[in-house]
Amino acid sequence: MGKYTNELTRAMERLGEHPKVRIIGQSTLWDGHALFRTWKNVPVEKRWELPVFEDFQMGMTIGLAMQDWIPLSIYPRMDFIILAANQLTNHLANIRLVSNGKWKRHIIIRVTVGATEPLYSGLQHSQDHTETLRTLSRGEVDVVELHSWEDVFPAYEYALLRTDKKPTILVEYSNLYNGE
Amino acid sequence: MFREKQRDISWTVEQLREFESKVGDVFETAAIHGPVHLSYGNEDYLIDLFQYVNSQDWVFSTWRNHYHALLHGVPPEYLMERILAGHSIGFQAPDNHFFTSAIVNGILPIAVGTALGLKWNLSGRMVWCFVGDMAAESGVFYEAVKYSARNELPIHFVVEDNGLSTNTPTQEAWGMKKPKAVSLGIHQELTEKYVSYFKYERTKYPHQGIGKWIHF
Repeated sequence: MGKYTNELTRAMERLGEHPKVRIIGQSTLWDGHALFRTWKNVPVEKRWELPVFEDFQMGMTIGLAMQDWIPLSIYPRMDFIILAANQLTNHLANIRLVSNGKWKRHIIIRVTVGATEPLYSGLQHSQDHTETLRTLSRGEVDVVELHSWEDVFPAYEYALLRTDKKPTILVEYSNLYNGE
Repeated sequence: MFREKQRDISWTVEQLREFESKVGDVFETAAIHGPVHLSYGNEDYLIDLFQYVNSQDWVFSTWRNHYHALLHGVPPEYLMERILAGHSIGFQAPDNHFFTSAIVNGILPIAVGTALGLKWNLSGRMVWCFVGDMAAESGVFYEAVKYSARNELPIHFVVEDNGLSTNTPTQEAWGMKKPKAVSLGIHQELTEKYVSYFKYERTKYPHQGIGKWIHF
């Protein structure tokens, strides 16, 4: 594995140490995409497999955070999180505003821009909608791009430990997964 | 009901109707800078149901939420304050574990996630999720009930069927030629423990406001 993937693995281990973090999404328990290998060292009891229902997953993520869990909600392709735009913009981006900050919302969302090299994953698996996510979030969710291996661990650790408990979307790039 | 009675409800049908009537009167003066969705005709069922809702349980409701809030113990003064401030359709009462959304189906996944979190916390508390008949016919509702039942989540869905979604006849919009009770679209064995259903008629208030001042 290259530095980028190594750092992602280290970040997942760091998050996995936290008693309130749970990794939720598809292929958290069964290998189905490139992200899977990065949480191989996280205990299985801290991973929660979900069906493919992206918008539902985003809503469940909000509900878990309201119960004081820190969901690490994973979307293996940027193309897929578009299906969760409803819950992202209509609830997650509003939840602080409508409750005067009382609803808990410490959420980490992990999303990956699909690869173009060495394998082109196609039009529906390789789009970069980062700016769309920023627009939908309206400043209520931080959207952080991880362009280098050096960005990875500090960004995840900050998202975990941030005192304002603001939700964070971390954008990864599959093209960097296979680098040195 | 699948659980023991949890509390006595002090609200009467007349008191609930009086609260909504007050809101309607103020709304008609154009003093509320936001929509209000008033309830009428479903009081008996809800008063009975909320006896089984613990005050520490979580309640999820919609844009038509005043009765649910009052019956769950939200102080009427606070609810009225928020309504007058124009926040009826998105009313929140975190101190009372009361969440609403003005997006059709929007609360369902959040309610399910909350129920999963309560289960992980071994809290002993449960979620009550109130939806209308249009939401209950949706795919999201099917997903919510299926996922909750199979994972034995502490949640119960309540379908309040007045046959209308705004002014659209729900069943006709879904292609049913002879409208009848909501079909729920799911297997009966899933519904017995997890879903309650009742039907009532919209006899007084329209979808929004009291039908005179403004149509938004």
